[in-house]
Amino acid sequence: MTPTISVSKLSKHYKVPEREGGMKAAVISLFNRKYRTVKAVDDISFSIEPGEIVGFLGPNGAGKTTTLKVLSGLLHPTSGAVNVLGYEPTKRSHDYLRQVALVMGNRNQLSWDLPAIDSFELQRAIYGIPVLEFKKTRDDFIDLLELKDLVNKPIRNLSLGERMKMEIVGALLHRPKVLFLDEPTIGLDVTMQRRIRAFIKEYNQRWGATVLLTSHYMADVEALCKRVIVIHHGHTLFDGELSSLVTQFSSFKTLGVTLPNPEVDLSQYGEVLTRDGARVTLRVAKAKTSQVTANLLSDLQVDDLTVEDTPIDDVIDSVFTSTEETK
Amino acid sequence: MNPIKLALTYLRIGVLNEMQYRINFFIQLLQSFISVATGLIGLSLVFGQVNTLAGWSRSELLAVMGVHLLMGGVIRSIIQPNMERLMDDVRNGTLDFALTKPADAQTLVSVREFRFWQLVDVIVGMVVISIAFVQLKGTLGILQLLGFLAALIMGGVMLYCVWLMVTSISFWVIRVHEISNLFEGLYAAGRWPVGIYPDWLRTGLTFLVPVAFAVTVPAEALTNRLSGTSLLFALGMTLLFVILSRGLWRLGLSNYSGASS
Repeated sequence: MTPTISVSKLSKHYKVPEREGGMKAAVISLFNRKYRTVKAVDDISFSIEPGEIVGFLGPNGAGKTTTLKVLSGLLHPTSGAVNVLGYEPTKRSHDYLRQVALVMGNRNQLSWDLPAIDSFELQRAIYGIPVLEFKKTRDDFIDLLELKDLVNKPIRNLSLGERMKMEIVGALLHRPKVLFLDEPTIGLDVTMQRRIRAFIKEYNQRWGATVLLTSHYMADVEALCKRVIVIHHGHTLFDGELSSLVTQFSSFKTLGVTLPNPEVDLSQYGEVLTRDGARVTLRVAKAKTSQVTANLLSDLQVDDLTVEDTPIDDVIDSVFTSTEETK
Repeated sequence: MNPIKLALTYLRIGVLNEMQYRINFFIQLLQSFISVATGLIGLSLVFGQVNTLAGWSRSELLAVMGVHLLMGGVIRSIIQPNMERLMDDVRNGTLDFALTKPADAQTLVSVREFRFWQLVDVIVGMVVISIAFVQLKGTLGILQLLGFLAALIMGGVMLYCVWLMVTSISFWVIRVHEISNLFEGLYAAGRWPVGIYPDWLRTGLTFLVPVAFAVTVPAEALTNRLSGTSLLFALGMTLLFVILSRGLWRLGLSNYSGASS
């Protein structure tokens, strides 16, 4: 099967003017401007199969948005090759653009003063969607996201979450085969995030669309993505199953112990993370988990005991900090 | 996507929405009357002193004023709102959305906005032109009418091109909003035929900001002053402006990388 998205040795460097603070430096920079090269993306490669939902993770400034912009044809790569659906995105051919969509959680494309229903009509005109198909897709999406009573209100009168749902409907009316979602749930409450997540999943399953998603909310990633690509400082740190990210980068497990006697000191068993009445959580090296569990159960009277993987947020955090340290 | 169909869709939706704000109609009507009134006062002041101004009679100057009003309405209803939105889009990085659409980007950014009520100026301008024409006791031959319309369209296209060029500068210099004020100031000079100005200003108003072509030339067509050569010259200038502005727009686009990465 040919991959839907293939990126090989992609680099994108920016030349940015640089000056020190202060009036003198400002005047000097008018005449003698110094530039610094920022390697937003530096030699990354990956490929994504049709129908996959892949999470694209990394801290701010890691190069996620830059990569998405190259993939959607907005930026020219400095070097490397990019191919999506058999097209070279940089050429921005209309046939290509008709099959992809870019959604940015922090920017709006729908007109502030128009009701969404009118903006949808404009999308129809731009993409040349046949009327019947358009109406069906639109009404389906409106049902799925429960927007029925809101489509006739001007966008400016909607809440942030409602607006984001409208943005997503507007961006997907032409039923793109490939979705680039840049933090689609940013700033939304948990219920709204969940609704949008469910919609993305539904869209992916119904039309077999390929999705590349960035998010700072691990809940998004856990719910949607089997596979994640982690980038940092423009380099790929990890590309694989989300579950193996946890096994690869997390060498600890968390034990939760409930004791009838809260006075007992457990520090000999592992690092005590929290102590909340009778409930104590311990951090234990993964290799020692079974030994420690057995010891706890034989040494003490235990009401309840749980063993959990380190939360994904902490794993990601440790991935980034560990690479900072090795630098 | 057919660009005309696209433009008409934007037009229809823009009109439907502006219809909701009827108060704007009355505000605009008031504004138009104020500009007509000040224009008339200016004219009577001038003609209190002289009988002709650089070869233009009072009624002929009324025609110039009418064209100026009409073209001003076109600028404010279509050209200026689209270009101002383009500047905002460049600054906010939302131009990305326009560039990921399967449509010619220049067409798309030029048809998205439409201020319906500003067209009141176009209507008022036409009324003023008609009154001037009646005063002149002129006869409007078919050739004359065609010349007038052609000059008007070419003038409008040239003004659009200049706006687009100036706006394209926002790809390099993010803050260009002040430029629209400058433009308005220069356009105000078009209220009088450019022939009355000193050479340097006339040259500027012809080649830099083509107010001469947008206002004076159509008015010349109406008052039987326009030669075929001038019209041909205007056509040449229009083509030149179209090519230059398209080139600068493309150069700007290739320089654009979004407000943040």
